[in-house]
Amino acid sequence: MTTTAERQMELTLPMVADIEIAAARAAGNLARELGMSSEKIDEMTHAIIEACINAREHSGCADNRIYLRFVGTSKGDGSRIDVWITDHGRGFDPEEARSRRPAAGVSHKRGRGLQLIEAHMDEVSISTTSGGGTTIHMVKYEKKES
Amino acid sequence: MTEELKVAVDRKPNGAVLYTKGYINNVGGEEIANRAYELMDADVRTLLLNLRETKIVNSIGISILIEIIEKMIDKGGTIAFCCLTPVIHKTFQIMGLANYARIFDSEEAAMKELGL
Repeated sequence: MTTTAERQMELTLPMVADIEIAAARAAGNLARELGMSSEKIDEMTHAIIEACINAREHSGCADNRIYLRFVGTSKGDGSRIDVWITDHGRGFDPEEARSRRPAAGVSHKRGRGLQLIEAHMDEVSISTTSGGGTTIHMVKYEKKES
Repeated sequence: MTEELKVAVDRKPNGAVLYTKGYINNVGGEEIANRAYELMDADVRTLLLNLRETKIVNSIGISILIEIIEKMIDKGGTIAFCCLTPVIHKTFQIMGLANYARIFDSEEAAMKELGL
């Protein structure tokens, strides 16, 4: 028989300096409760930081809020955390954002947040519409050694 | 809510070591830049950044580190990093920083290789 544990958390945070740290710490605490390794937690928290910074710097939303939802699930064979980060801003074109990072190198210093998010998480999907806000859904897995 | 970065400088015969403690964001990156530029103005051409007590970086902070590297390269000098967490090491590689600055596992290895 497989035991499943689930933890959920929802946060609404103001868009103020360094608020991404509060979001990352909350997700990190939840991941630790599920027994996720520190390396996986560090990768997830860095992705959350970049997503929150993107929302704060680029969304242009009127309510100045970031909405976060974390769902952590632990089963016999490992754990996963789903993270949703939402803003009610202007939206953006993910393909255009990706095209701003043609190659690694000193001459491309900014606009790399999405690249970092995709590198640090196992799954990333973006739902965004012009004027309708953006939600980034990210998943981090950890398989247990058998 | 603020996460202040602290930077300590240890001058060496052939350069300097900067020790960071805390979050390298835009403010933290600028603090490192200020200290690095002071040293460059004093003709220091080899800088080692020891990030042992930094656990979080963001892309804006890294972009400032890249600007510091560019300025040092323009002056014919060298910047290196040591004691990175695995996720910071990975982030530096993704951002391209690892292509322009050497990264060492330990301060001892860096000091020896850089001749500080």
